Amino acid sequence: MNPEPQETQPPFIYLNNAATTWPKPAEVLEEVATCLRLPLHEAGRTTGNGSIDYPSAAREALAAFFHAGPPEHFIFTQNATDSLNLLIHGFAKKTGMPFHAITTELEHNSVLRPLTALKQDGVVKLSIVPFKDTRVNLDAIKQVICPETRLVVMTHGSNVLGSVQDIRPVAEYLHTNDIFFIVDGAQTAGHIPIDLSDIPIGAFVFTGHKALFGIPGIGGFFITDPDAVAITRQGGTGTDSQTLTHPFDMPMRFEAGTHNYPGIASLYAGIRFITRTGQDTIEKKTMDLTRTFIRELKLIPGITIYNENPDLPVVSFDIAGIENHEAGFILARAYNIIMRTGLHCAPLVHEQIDEGKGCVRASFSYFNSVEECRVAAEAIREVAESADR
Amino acid sequence: MKEYVLDEPLTEGFLKFLGHFGTVKTLDKLRKPYFSFEKELFISIKGFTGDYNVEVRYRKEFQDLVSDYFHLLLFYEREGDRGVSQLKGIEDSIRDKMKVRLGTSHGNGS
Repeated sequence: MNPEPQETQPPFIYLNNAATTWPKPAEVLEEVATCLRLPLHEAGRTTGNGSIDYPSAAREALAAFFHAGPPEHFIFTQNATDSLNLLIHGFAKKTGMPFHAITTELEHNSVLRPLTALKQDGVVKLSIVPFKDTRVNLDAIKQVICPETRLVVMTHGSNVLGSVQDIRPVAEYLHTNDIFFIVDGAQTAGHIPIDLSDIPIGAFVFTGHKALFGIPGIGGFFITDPDAVAITRQGGTGTDSQTLTHPFDMPMRFEAGTHNYPGIASLYAGIRFITRTGQDTIEKKTMDLTRTFIRELKLIPGITIYNENPDLPVVSFDIAGIENHEAGFILARAYNIIMRTGLHCAPLVHEQIDEGKGCVRASFSYFNSVEECRVAAEAIREVAESADR
Repeated sequence: MKEYVLDEPLTEGFLKFLGHFGTVKTLDKLRKPYFSFEKELFISIKGFTGDYNVEVRYRKEFQDLVSDYFHLLLFYEREGDRGVSQLKGIEDSIRDKMKVRLGTSHGNGS
């Protein structure tokens, strides 16, 4: 059974946690409520007795969680997509001339679309590195690096295959060659321990609403050298208000306008929940659930699992004889089991694994149970046995 | 995509009627008997026999021409065999408009 929050459990099984974790820990919901009950503490603008400076508290929590600093180099955005847009377009603006960029077939559209837009504008010549056995290795990246290469954007964890990429050797090689490296940690942040203290990346992107247990609408990134990325947003910061140019101080350099205080409060509380529960405990439970689910699926005729040994609690599969969108519809409407179907915003992965038709994805959270895995697998068995083959 | 809530549950008779106009696929061994209906260039329908809810998807490029088609199916089912021929007549006029838009003879067949 789920440990918490019991009273909000409707009669369905939620296995779409790679998109957005649900439910949220009770303390996250309470922190959001606390945040909204108090006047906002806007540093430099408004303070009040009893108000909590959530942005500063969350930056410090992030710095401790990812072993990176200073805290002011953690920037808040709407989500990972927002972070990647800000970083990719900001890097291109700063570079100020056409350059060569590299990404991989494992990427989400949050990476592919900004880079494609720059390519269409003639700013970027783009190389997309293939993956092999769910991973991209450094040699494949080295093969396409040229003198004009300035940027590599790479996912840390695949949202389809659940494979975690070994970013350390890539980061070290790129750092040596003065190539800016953006790591998309949307799927890994919160799931696995990440120590950024000794990995020489340019920027690490995260989102709050997945494994960090925050609410939708909050994300961010950590940047080592802010001068590598130009400012693409300007506005109120509560500082240097007499000047009409946006300040260069961190973190205001990349943050304009009023923060998403409830989102930041949820992120702060989500990290606290993970730390208090123990990241190892959470990771062990979710991966045990994942392995249990895979074991059950492997017993069902007609099921193709695209990665039987994922590093993340993500299981993508196909049911022979039935379209993935139909399988998702049946599981949701007839069995009250929520999964994600389709391309998962990662079209190039699907070109490799299923000829671009998409698949069904189950993804687990700390709040799922073994019983839910078994019930879901049994439902999939019924769907598979009913399919035309 | 639109989800409709009907005032009567979907029946096997309705699926039989759908069969005159497109491809009906059924999966009967499930907890609830699933069906899908695919009519090229017009609409696709997903649902369960006995349910009040049904999901209807329209082809984006012809949405203005086919947005009433699901309602027409519901209406003409009540007319029995006469409804089949009447709706096929309406379909022909919709296809003519599609052909004009496409500028080709594409759109034949149900």
